[in-house]
Amino acid sequence: MATYPDSESQSFDLSDDTSDDGMYLSSSHHKPAAPSYKLSRFTGPLIDYVRNEWQTNAKYAHLPSTGDRRRSESPRWIQMIMSIVTAPRFRRYVLVYMSLFLAAVLGWTFLLSPQLQEHASLLRALDPQVKQEVGGWFGTNALPSFDDIVQLRTLDPALLPSHAVDQTGEAIPRRLIVIGDVHGCKVELEKLLEEVTFNHDHDHLIFTGDMINKGPDSLGVVDIAQQYGASCVRGNHEDRVLLLRHDMMATNVTRADTGDEHFLEQDTRERQLAKDLNDDQAKWLDTCPVILDVGQIKNMGQVVVAHAGLVPGVELEKQDPYSVMNMHTIDLDTHVPSSSRKGTKWTKLFNKHQSLVYSTVKSGPEGITALQTVIYGHDAKSSLTLKPYTKGLDSGCVKGGKLTAMVIEADGEQKIVQVKCNDYSGK
Amino acid sequence: MWMSNSLLVFLGLFSAGLVAADANPDFMSVRDTVAKEYRNQEVETAEKYFHESSFHYHYDGRFATEVLPEEETIPHLSALIRTYLSTMKDIGVETWIMHGTLLSWWWNQKIFPWDNDIDVQISEPSMHFLDEYYNMTEHHFDIPGVEGGRTFQLEINPNYVIRSTKDKLNVIDARWIDTSSGLFIDITAVRKDDEKREHGQPGALMCKDGHRFDELDIFPLRNSHFEDFPVKVPYEYTKLLQEEYGSTAITATSFKGHEFNEETLLWDGPKLVHPFY
Repeated sequence: MATYPDSESQSFDLSDDTSDDGMYLSSSHHKPAAPSYKLSRFTGPLIDYVRNEWQTNAKYAHLPSTGDRRRSESPRWIQMIMSIVTAPRFRRYVLVYMSLFLAAVLGWTFLLSPQLQEHASLLRALDPQVKQEVGGWFGTNALPSFDDIVQLRTLDPALLPSHAVDQTGEAIPRRLIVIGDVHGCKVELEKLLEEVTFNHDHDHLIFTGDMINKGPDSLGVVDIAQQYGASCVRGNHEDRVLLLRHDMMATNVTRADTGDEHFLEQDTRERQLAKDLNDDQAKWLDTCPVILDVGQIKNMGQVVVAHAGLVPGVELEKQDPYSVMNMHTIDLDTHVPSSSRKGTKWTKLFNKHQSLVYSTVKSGPEGITALQTVIYGHDAKSSLTLKPYTKGLDSGCVKGGKLTAMVIEADGEQKIVQVKCNDYSGK
Repeated sequence: MWMSNSLLVFLGLFSAGLVAADANPDFMSVRDTVAKEYRNQEVETAEKYFHESSFHYHYDGRFATEVLPEEETIPHLSALIRTYLSTMKDIGVETWIMHGTLLSWWWNQKIFPWDNDIDVQISEPSMHFLDEYYNMTEHHFDIPGVEGGRTFQLEINPNYVIRSTKDKLNVIDARWIDTSSGLFIDITAVRKDDEKREHGQPGALMCKDGHRFDELDIFPLRNSHFEDFPVKVPYEYTKLLQEEYGSTAITATSFKGHEFNEETLLWDGPKLVHPFY
C-alpha cells in the first residue's frame, strides 16, 4: 500500500499537470483557494473534477473533431463515411470480416461444393432412372467361367467371432484376424501375429490377397498361412503367378528355353516364383477364391473379403473376377470398374450404395443383416482406409510401410493392429 | 466328336523342293531359336494376298459364289471357331480370341447373332511355325448334322514376314477357311514392337492392323469357354474391352436392335413390327 506522503505527492503532480493546461487558473476564479480543492479531492464525487478541457484547449486541436470543422465544406454524409472509415475499430473489423469471407469462399469452393457435387453425382450414379438412360450397368452379362479360378467360397460359420464354450465350461472368445497384403514379408507377419497374441485354437486368420511376390519370402508366408489353416482370397499377384504356373505345367516348363526371343521379359520374377512354388503350396493358393463370404458379424452385416473391391449392387456370384482383383476406381455412369487410379474410388460408390440400402432396410425385418461390409487390400497408396462399409487394410508393408491386421473380437468389435516393416522395394 | 481327322495336303511341296535345289537355304528355314530376321527389311509393302469375294467382304471368293442364308451363318461360324480351336490345340499352337469375338465372349460366351467374322491372334513365333509346317493344309471334320462333314483350310499370307504396319494390304496374316461356304477366320500375329521397345516400353507388342498392346495385357492367357469349347482369353480382358469399345459396350443391354435377355442370357433378335398392327 502507498504511504500518505506518496499520495500527497501524487496530488501535487496532478495539480501541476492541470496548471500546465492553464485550466487551473480559470477554475481558481470560482474556487479561490487551492487548499479547498485539495480537501474536496478526497471528499467530493469524481464528476466535479471533469473540466472538458478537450473542447477549449488548443493542445487537442489536432484531433479529428477539430479537423472536421476545417473540412466543413464537404457534405455531411462524406464526413460521416470518412469518420467511419478512418476509425481504427472499423479497419479492424474490415480485416476480420474480409478474412471470414475469404475463408467461407475457400471452404465452399474447395470443401463444401465438391462434397455436395460428389454426393449428387454418387446419388445420380445409383439412380435406376440413369441405368435406363445409359442402357445398363456393369454386371448384367453372363459371367464367363475360368478354369482353375474359384469365384466364391463361404467361411465355415464355426469360425465366426463368438463366445464359444469349451469342454470345461470355460468361455473362449473366438476372433477373426484379417491381414492386409503381406507380399512375402514373413518376418513382419510373424511379428504381427505376436502383436495380436494369435492363438491357433481360438483365432482364425484371413488374408486379403497378395500374400506373395515382391517381398523376401513368399514361400514362407504361404507355409505359415497353410500351417494355421488360414482363409485367403486371390490377389492380382496370386492370379498372375498361378496362371503362369498352370501355363508352364500345361506346356511343359522346359519349353521356356527360348531365352531373349521369348515374348515375356517383364514377368521374370513372377515366372521364377511360379517355378519355386511346390505342388502343395500352389494347390493351396489355387483354393483361394476371388471372393470370400465371411458371413454375418454383429454390427457389420454380411462381411465379404475381396482383394481389390466389389461393384455395388452386383451379386457376389456375378462379380467380374479380373475387376475384383484389380479395381481402384469406378465409372459413375456405367459402373465399369477400372484398375486406373483416375476417377471416383469404388469405395465412395459402395459406401453411398450401402447407406441407401440402410435407409430402406433399417426399419424392416432384415435390418442391418442386409448390409455388406467389404474388407480389402490392394490399395497401398491410400494405406489404411476405414469407412463405414469398406475397410482397406493394405498399408504398403513391402515398401517399408506397415502390415495391418483387423481383429474382429468375439462381440463384433473391431480393432486395428499394425507393425512397422522393412523396406524391400529396392531389393 | 470334334477330333480332327486331319487330312494334310502339302500343296507346295513340289515347288518348294525345286526352289531349295537351286538356291542357298533361306535364313528363316534354318533358324533354330531366332523368331525373326534381324537384317534390314527394305521391303515394307507388298501386293495384296488375301482377296475378299466380290459379293461379301467376309467370304473367300475361291470357295463360294454367294452369302449363306442368315439362319445358317451362326452355326457355320460356330463350327469354324470350334474346328480352329481344336486344330490349334492338337498342333500345340497357342491362340486366343480378340476384338469383337472377345466382346461376344464377355456377354454370354457365344457368337453375337449379328456377327459374320471371328478374330483370333497368335504370337509371331507361332506364325512362323504354322508357316513352316502347316501352310495350305486341309483339315477334315465330321460335324454333327452335317453330312460328309466339312473341310477347312489353313492358309498363311506369305507377306507375314513383312513386319511393317505400312503393309496395309496384308494386315491379316492367315486365314482358317471353311471350304464349303467360303466363311473364314482372320488370324493376326502379335509381334514385338521393336521401335517402341527401344524407346523404353519393354513389353510393347503390335499387329500389322495397327493394334498395339503390352505383354502384360495379354499374357498369361486365361482358360475359359466359348461356344462351349475351351478357349484362351487375354489376361486383362475387361481392360482391353473397355479400351477398345468403351464402357457402354460391356454394360448396355441393347445393341443393333438386339436386346440382351438377363433370364435366358441370350441376345433376342429385333422385334418384328407387323405393318397391320
